[in-house]
Amino acid sequence: MSAAAPRRRQPPGPAVEQLADLQATGALHTETGTLYLDHGAVVHADSPHSLDLGSLLTRCGRVTPDYWQHTLDQFAEHCLVGRMLVAQGALTRGELEVCHLATLYDAGYFALGAFSLATRFEPGVRHWLGPVSGVDPRLLRREAVRRRDLLERIWPWPQVDTAPVRHTVTTDQDGTAARGLSPSPRRRELLGLADGRRTPVELARLLGRSTYATIVEVRRLAAAGLIATPPDAPTHPIPADAMARRVPGATLRRGRAPDPPPHPAPTEPDIALLIRVRTALEARL
Amino acid sequence: MPGIEDCLSAAMRIAGARGAGLLDWGSGLALGTAGDSPADDHEATAAEATDLIRLAAESLSFAEPSDPRLPLQDLILTTERSYHLFRLIGTVFDSRLLLHLWLDREDANLAGARMRLQALAEELVLG
Repeated sequence: MSAAAPRRRQPPGPAVEQLADLQATGALHTETGTLYLDHGAVVHADSPHSLDLGSLLTRCGRVTPDYWQHTLDQFAEHCLVGRMLVAQGALTRGELEVCHLATLYDAGYFALGAFSLATRFEPGVRHWLGPVSGVDPRLLRREAVRRRDLLERIWPWPQVDTAPVRHTVTTDQDGTAARGLSPSPRRRELLGLADGRRTPVELARLLGRSTYATIVEVRRLAAAGLIATPPDAPTHPIPADAMARRVPGATLRRGRAPDPPPHPAPTEPDIALLIRVRTALEARL
Repeated sequence: MPGIEDCLSAAMRIAGARGAGLLDWGSGLALGTAGDSPADDHEATAAEATDLIRLAAESLSFAEPSDPRLPLQDLILTTERSYHLFRLIGTVFDSRLLLHLWLDREDANLAGARMRLQALAEELVLG
């Protein structure tokens, strides 16, 4: 572990796999999140773009914010938060494992999509949640690719992931049934909050839902014409050689980042960052 | 108190079980798998199973609109040799989970397997 360089210039995907091969323990920080490793397995991940475990559990009222804070104050220092949530009966083991994996894969998707090649590894660092379960970094990376490909199949205009979400139908009906989509309560709730100002990340946070699942929903609604697709869309959904680039390590141009996407200067920093996440996922995974 | 692995191991002990998976039908992710996959690829089975469930769970005809957490309880798919049971799991926190159990028709008792899978789904989140 001590041999690991604190800073490296390598895309996050290959960097985390290399650390896994070294059976490393510590935190790999990328521009868009952090992956926590324990003896080579990814045991947790967080990202400012995805809902964290505490928010997932408190937004729905599963645990109170006071209880969550109290548990953190008492047990974070000893990395026992997960174990104590179960021991104190606040969550079942199944709930903890399911929520942990859901947040790990969500945050991992964003963390691995960092545009910047600068990653920083902090050896020995452990996450305050403590041991719950671990994921093979190769599986995490493959899942990130699958997630990116799923979005492309639904509606290959990734700018809807980061732009403010605007509902295009403003009559008393939300228009879902007319467009071949069922008006499920989840969908209605999302469309009801699509005010043309909030981005998918903000909507997910407001609703206490997975950011990735919210982005999937936004792409489906955009494909049905119920959410506006911003007009400054690039006309090429995926570069023709994208498949080749998805092979790990294939044609990676180390040290030189791909050209930025042909977007106008974004007005919000969060959007700028997410556009870069998406571009990097396309280029690197 | 069962975790994901215990739940899937218990599912594999159901008579006729050939494979099982805990899946997230919001993202298509397999949170855990056990036994074999009918496609020889658990990730492909997870993606296809979640597509199938999403169609039913979001349909006008088959979903229960009054319960957004649990729009379907289960779905049974039958082929000449197999049963597939899909049991949705309701949680307090936002999730779209389901258990998929692949059964060999020769050895399986459909009614018994369905009841057992329901109990396993409840135990996973209720403890």
